[in-house]
Amino acid sequence: MSDYVLGRPEPPQTRLGVRFGVFGLIVVLVVGALTTRLFYIQAVQGSYYSDLADQNLHQTLPIKSARGIIYDRAGRELAINIPSYVVYIRPADMPFSQRDAVSDRLATLLGLDQAEIIAAVDRYASQRFELVRIASDVSSDAARIIVEESRNLPGVEIGIEDRRQYEYGPLMSHVLGYVAPISADQFAQLSDSGYLRDDQIGQTGVEARFEDVLRGTYGQEQVERDASGRIARIVQIIQQPEAGDSLELTIDAEIQREATDALQWATDIVHLQHGVIIVANPQTGEILAMVSLPTYDDNLFARGITTAEYQALIDNPNHPLVNYAISEQYPPGSTYKLVTASGGLMDGVITPTSQLETAAYLEIGPYRYYDWNRRGFGPLDVTQAYAKSSDTFFYQVAGMLGVDRLAYWADQWGFGKRTGIDLPAEARGIIPTNAWKQSVFGQDVFPGEAYHAGIGQGYDAATPLQLLNAYSALANGGTLYKPQIVRRVLAPDGTVVRDFQPEVLSTVGVDPDVLLTMRLAAREVVTSRHSGNLVDLPLVVAGKTGTAEFGVRDGQGRLPFHSWFVAFVPNFTADQPGDPAATDSQLAIVAFAYDAVVKANAATEMVKYFLQDHYDLGVDLTRPDLMQAGNLWGGN
Amino acid sequence: MTAMRIERTPQSSLVARPESGSWRAFDAQLAVAALALAVIGLLMAWTNSPDGPLSPGSIFTRGLMWFALAIVAFAAVASFDFRWLRTLSWLIYLVNLGLLVLTLVIGITINGAQRWILVAGLTFQISEISKVIMIGVLATFLEARRESLGKVSTLIGAGLLTAPPFLLVMIQPDLGSALVLVAILTGALFLSGASLRWMGLAAGSVVAMVPVIWSILQDYQRRRLLSFLDPTSDPQGAGFQVIQAQIAVSSGGLFGKGLTNGTQGASDLLPVQSTDFAFAVLLEELGFMGGIVVFLLFVWLIWRVLLIGWRSGTVFGIAVAGGTAAMIVFQLLVNAGMIVGMMPVTGIPLPFITHGGASLVSTAIALGLLQSIAMRTEQPRPSW
Repeated sequence: MSDYVLGRPEPPQTRLGVRFGVFGLIVVLVVGALTTRLFYIQAVQGSYYSDLADQNLHQTLPIKSARGIIYDRAGRELAINIPSYVVYIRPADMPFSQRDAVSDRLATLLGLDQAEIIAAVDRYASQRFELVRIASDVSSDAARIIVEESRNLPGVEIGIEDRRQYEYGPLMSHVLGYVAPISADQFAQLSDSGYLRDDQIGQTGVEARFEDVLRGTYGQEQVERDASGRIARIVQIIQQPEAGDSLELTIDAEIQREATDALQWATDIVHLQHGVIIVANPQTGEILAMVSLPTYDDNLFARGITTAEYQALIDNPNHPLVNYAISEQYPPGSTYKLVTASGGLMDGVITPTSQLETAAYLEIGPYRYYDWNRRGFGPLDVTQAYAKSSDTFFYQVAGMLGVDRLAYWADQWGFGKRTGIDLPAEARGIIPTNAWKQSVFGQDVFPGEAYHAGIGQGYDAATPLQLLNAYSALANGGTLYKPQIVRRVLAPDGTVVRDFQPEVLSTVGVDPDVLLTMRLAAREVVTSRHSGNLVDLPLVVAGKTGTAEFGVRDGQGRLPFHSWFVAFVPNFTADQPGDPAATDSQLAIVAFAYDAVVKANAATEMVKYFLQDHYDLGVDLTRPDLMQAGNLWGGN
Repeated sequence: MTAMRIERTPQSSLVARPESGSWRAFDAQLAVAALALAVIGLLMAWTNSPDGPLSPGSIFTRGLMWFALAIVAFAAVASFDFRWLRTLSWLIYLVNLGLLVLTLVIGITINGAQRWILVAGLTFQISEISKVIMIGVLATFLEARRESLGKVSTLIGAGLLTAPPFLLVMIQPDLGSALVLVAILTGALFLSGASLRWMGLAAGSVVAMVPVIWSILQDYQRRRLLSFLDPTSDPQGAGFQVIQAQIAVSSGGLFGKGLTNGTQGASDLLPVQSTDFAFAVLLEELGFMGGIVVFLLFVWLIWRVLLIGWRSGTVFGIAVAGGTAAMIVFQLLVNAGMIVGMMPVTGIPLPFITHGGASLVSTAIALGLLQSIAMRTEQPRPSW
């Protein structure tokens, strides 16, 4: 075994044959595996892919429709469409090696974060031929530079599309809302209705509520794509798009401006966190102005809001995105005595002339229920008590009615239920009953709580719109209308598609003579100077103040409070002043000032400011001095 | 006892051969298989030259140049008496290390890896040449230790020889080429008769070190490995290439779309189509049948490579054949496997098909070396 010969020894092959065999086997296995896999991909899967490719060759694409215009009641354009530049990326056309350079350049040109661009491109990884929106409403300069640099920006495309422009910006934002890109959740729900991933949709306000009307119908076109997925040509238009219908709002932009000025004036002096003014026509329920401050610019959203801008809105402690006119509920305070008084008169626990003794406080067991007037007023009838806003008077009436009966009358006036206005996110309000308190707290309403319910405190909660609607019903003789925000729907050619008629929600079950008593009592609030110098305006106004306590007592045991004033202006002519006994009022207004702890009622000053401006009264009776920090201490 | 026999492998296997070689012993089949593959590679260069194959500096014209260079290198190495390698191998080895270091110093960085140096306007990937140099160096080393092939010291020595170029290539970073060096080492050791026990142990410890290696991998290498497991996890990055390659391949079908009719390659959808994804374009344009032809040519080529080694009857010849065959098979597995979605994206060229000049020349040199061996193997050949 060891006797190898020189030159040609025992060849190593004899010992290594097995190894050569194993090696050869490995080669065969490798090639066999590759072949099998290749056969699977090319022969089995291949037909699937080529079918897919054929389908893609001719593709049906949507054609967007023009969104309807929104006008105010005088025909002023509030929301229009303007052409704007949009920057897209088609991920399939952007070579990976250039991705960083391209996104970096785009970030510089568009003022975006590079990481955001890359995240946007990666978001729909499975559809690499679809355009991804990178930026909307790009300046024409940036668009021009992108076109000029297109050789260095592979995959980047410039498109022109309509975008929403809100001509009055912040003035109308809470009413109009805005359109913004469809969210993933919305798309999941609406993709079957023809919404596109890259679509815009009304997100709040009228834009959201009337999305179906405004959007129109998208058309369809058949396009031919080339092998790399780009659109080579349009084969045919299958269906022309139909423009959306336009809306004419009940809002009058001029009245909206006056109301905003009044609220802004008070906000600046009192440093309000937020406040509301709503103006309506009591005869129809039409909303003429709806202002909630602070507000925001809905154009931010239409242009494509940046993360920083959005975060700033979210972080603002006064929540400018919230429409406080309908979306928040507050204790209505003494304005609610309308319910207590009319209920007491209807149920016969009081008569228009019967008097009740008022005092500094009422006692139930060990508890004392104070009047805002710590001396009491002595004996008062309902008109006097309403005008002076005596708390102890209405404690007694509420006590005699009981909380459930009180709630019945509140329901008659529309409290505790949504008005049904065509705006999203309306709050319901709270009217306490024994059943309600049982369901929430597991116990009946205490007698003292019934007292508080009678003066719009305690559990009572109402939206500014509910309060305005109740007093509108008082002004028009007892009809609760659905507050309307849209007056007409107009086709693109201007023909009226739908005319919104006044819609009666219900008739307040209060006798006309009781309503008359209350209208005169509301006038008495003004004439008795409970509402200060409002009576000196050359205008007949009737209304009710409210001072609604909330929150935490200060060192002297005093609570901060919101101010309310809700009023109506009886119809008048040049030679015929308004008559508060009549039911012909064309204008009702509610003003609300959140946490307005000042010497007088800030809401009354706002209404005064508005009326002076709106009716061009030529006087200025506003009292900024009374709006300095102070405490009128329950001067309801 | 078997180990004893291996130690007694004869000492004079390199003597009594014709000095100049016998062109009659030239292995024509090896040359034809290689030539066929190289021509297919040129076809792919033609089809992948978007600005026209004959335009100056196109992939095709550069391919032609490299093709000519490869033929010259092949002929020169075949004529060269491989026994001189015994003398020169240390020098070549050191030059190789020097070039790899040079690459790190003055190399061109492409896609984050410093792998190329510029020679006369052509980018040259030194790690490609390292492959064939390691084949020669390892074969010389094993030949010198032919009497103690079964010893662990042989294994360690071969490993120590491979380690410096391996590490230099790793830090470029070029995981793929580094792994090819390991494949060469394994192939040469395995076929020439190294101790299976120790090789198994070494392989086991490498597997045990996987977690350690993972921790030192570059981020992009980890991403590539991960995207191999789930291509959609990084669709814009490494996974993008895999997805695009598979779309290209599957759209090819049985017979392909015909040369230059590929869409994926032409529209730049394969980001590095002109390099490691050339085979994907081939599969798209020539279909499953084209792929089978390429596979069969490779099998034929490897068959001839192994046969030359076997017939040489020398440790040197067997080691060269084992290293070369392992290099080709490994690259075929990894490159084609990557394109059909069986392997991670590691940036390994497919010999002949990928438009990499250095790869072609390197392969030509290895095959030339085998021709040199074939031509200097004592006649007559074994009858089988």
